[in-house]
Amino acid sequence: MLDDKLVKELLRLMHPGDVLREDLDLFTYSYDGSHLPLVPASRPDLVVKARSTQQVAGVLRLAYRYGTPVVARGLGSGRTGGSIPVEGGIVLCCDEMNRIIEFDEKNLMVTVEPGIRTMDLYNYCARRGLFYPPDPSSAAHSTIGGNIAENAGGARAVKYGVTKDYVMGLEVVLADGRVLQTGGKSVKNVTGYDLTRLFVGSEGTLGIVTKAVLKLIPLPKVRRTVQVMFSSLEGACAAVERSIQSGTVPAAAEIMDQTSIQAVAGFQRLEVDPDVEAAIIFEFDGDSEDNLDRQTKLAMSLCRECGSIRFRVAMTPEESEELWNLRRGISSAVAALAPNRIGEDISVPRAAFPEIVKRLRAIATEYGLRIAVFGHAGDGNLHPSILTDLSIPGEKEKVAKVVGEIFKAALELGGTLSGEHGIGITKKDYIVDALGEVGVDTIRSIKKALDPKGILNPGKIF
Amino acid sequence: MKKDAADFLAKADALVNRCDRCGACLSVCPLYALSQREIASARGKISAVRGLLEGGLTTGSSIAKAFEFCLLCRACTEKCPSKIETDEVMVAARQYTAGKLGRKARHRLVAGLLGSNVLLSLVTGVLDLSRRAAMGRLSGTAGPLEPAGSHYREMLAGPASFPPLPAGPGAKMPQGGKIAYFRGCAMKIFFPAAAGATVNLLKKIAGVVVPAAVCCGSPHLAHGMLGQAMALARTNIERFGGAGLIVTDCASCGHSLKEYGHRLADDPRWADKAQEFSQKVMGLSEYLYHAGYRPGGRLPFKVTYHDPCHLGRGQGIKREPRELLRLAGNYVELPSADRCCGGAGTFHLDFPEEARRILNDKVADIAQTGAEVIVTECPACMMQLAKGEQQSGRFVVKYISQVL
Repeated sequence: MLDDKLVKELLRLMHPGDVLREDLDLFTYSYDGSHLPLVPASRPDLVVKARSTQQVAGVLRLAYRYGTPVVARGLGSGRTGGSIPVEGGIVLCCDEMNRIIEFDEKNLMVTVEPGIRTMDLYNYCARRGLFYPPDPSSAAHSTIGGNIAENAGGARAVKYGVTKDYVMGLEVVLADGRVLQTGGKSVKNVTGYDLTRLFVGSEGTLGIVTKAVLKLIPLPKVRRTVQVMFSSLEGACAAVERSIQSGTVPAAAEIMDQTSIQAVAGFQRLEVDPDVEAAIIFEFDGDSEDNLDRQTKLAMSLCRECGSIRFRVAMTPEESEELWNLRRGISSAVAALAPNRIGEDISVPRAAFPEIVKRLRAIATEYGLRIAVFGHAGDGNLHPSILTDLSIPGEKEKVAKVVGEIFKAALELGGTLSGEHGIGITKKDYIVDALGEVGVDTIRSIKKALDPKGILNPGKIF
Repeated sequence: MKKDAADFLAKADALVNRCDRCGACLSVCPLYALSQREIASARGKISAVRGLLEGGLTTGSSIAKAFEFCLLCRACTEKCPSKIETDEVMVAARQYTAGKLGRKARHRLVAGLLGSNVLLSLVTGVLDLSRRAAMGRLSGTAGPLEPAGSHYREMLAGPASFPPLPAGPGAKMPQGGKIAYFRGCAMKIFFPAAAGATVNLLKKIAGVVVPAAVCCGSPHLAHGMLGQAMALARTNIERFGGAGLIVTDCASCGHSLKEYGHRLADDPRWADKAQEFSQKVMGLSEYLYHAGYRPGGRLPFKVTYHDPCHLGRGQGIKREPRELLRLAGNYVELPSADRCCGGAGTFHLDFPEEARRILNDKVADIAQTGAEVIVTECPACMMQLAKGEQQSGRFVVKYISQVL
């Protein structure tokens, strides 16, 4: 329960309609896009819909004084529980701070508030001939603030990198309510520590981003989507590897195994050849159709050498969109295959991709569980999904073991626990395995220095 | 066989469990865009139902109101990777809250009126007189009988709901037999001229009979009166027993009639008959297009088209009305044509301010096309768009049967 005095002061700071206190509202801000149980609900004590940096700073000054937890939230699309208020307190919702503050065409930069949706930002820039490349599958319903907090990736990472590669500067409200400015528009900048990078991926535990300066690049003139079916998953992996080695770096290379393909096909009423064991969606971009033809041709011959059985080129933007929808819908389509789905987000060096897939299959066989595998083959980031029914006695324990095995395999191959979803609540048990004692000690010291009272998103990461 | 309120909620269990809370619906829900509150979104409502089922929430007036605050427009379902039918969940949830807390007087009144042919004909008669009296004031040909003056007229605005169609073959073309025209309540009461135009159109293709239909039951279903809805369904099935093909020009009736097979599937006495009935139902433009009707001539005005939720997403009828209008000439596509207009059954009565704001966007979109006429195939949309017509004065609303 919050101190009455805190509530009174908050109400003075905010428009009354922007402070939600009804139980039903609190319940609906107790979850996010992660697969954690809905009940018992981790209700916040209240929800604040912030409209300005001043309000965010005001809320944090109060919370700091009263020692109240504050959990930042955008649209709640996170997959690891990052915006769930596990210790109650205040959910600080920034989705209505969604303005584009400045579009700087000369420097190819855009300054935005954190609540802008990724897709809206992309569209805004694209209409002006510029490109904001990070494209998490949730782009239509995720915010830039959340993307920064989780260092979101996406399909295009193989060629264009992830969110952190585009964040030039930030305005961050610190735990005590002071406002910090980091970085800026200078491309080269070694003035002090790189605080911008520190906040990217910090999952709301170090400060709350209220403004971001993002780098843009010229929009590729033409794009082409290609869908290739393979009779083996190994062949598909090899095709991606060889395509990158050949210098034809695709703008995306998304892989799906048979289970995933059939899940989406079921939803979209598509017929899929039963011989198909894996599919890849390639996106190529470039300056001209000739350039695309060259890339497509090369990819086709490489794929054939790796055992492709069908090669489909999208002829229209609608077809291209259709192929992408296939990939974007996969996560939830797979989830519908079994009563419960535990989706993971491991990442390995690209060369280890075929090996990790092999190990995942071995784990599935050993434990007698189905694991659907899909992900970003181009950058080594995969989403193995364990399909199960947790109501079966003993299943929970078995799944926990399998998750442990998956993480172990990823770490052994030089990989990591999370490619793009963050650690949140769901992976914190494994953080020491991934970072080591010294690694965890170091991030703890940083946390302590910036948030001595531990009010910012407590209970996350470590 | 009296069902407990909780049974209805349990019916939604399998649906809500498929939601993995990804949040995709937040990007398309018109009501989330309006209020920016999680509870307004499909994810919020589905989670609330789960909360009730799993013991994380208790029933109260605020949850009942949250369930009412849904257009049942299915925009979320279309976007949802798991294709969860939020409208179906809301029908079950409203049935549940109605059983627990009672129904709104307004909804009971609408349902009572539509459920009774005697009352309905009285109302129709009164409106008919007032229409004659008001003849001179009427704008154009198709518009509703009079401006928004009579409140109870609005309360009859067509229903808004419903679920996916069971897979199966669509209706077959009649082999020289007669078409049975299903004239829904709203067409009968508010748009008799449009209903007449529908009959004339159908007569160009085949013989037409107009059996005495009762309400399709859709408003009852939307407001937690399942028992009455099913009783009406059974009456309609009996009255249309001999028909080879049933055509309706009301999007919501069509959607509801095509659902009878699904709704009565568990009733051994009615399941087969209901299934057979549903398979004979076609929407007006769906029928016209597939029967090979091609409008001749060229419309003397620029026309655009608004997709009724129950026709486009509800029945998958998107291409047919457009093709027909294109042939009729001078057709332009409306941006976001399938976004709900805000009419949505009794939504505009329950939440007038929100409905008005949703309509404003629609009006702006229509104005942007430069079309002089907006056409639709649903009486509820028709009424809502007529308000937009009055507001903007830049276009008129016509029923599809009146321009083909």
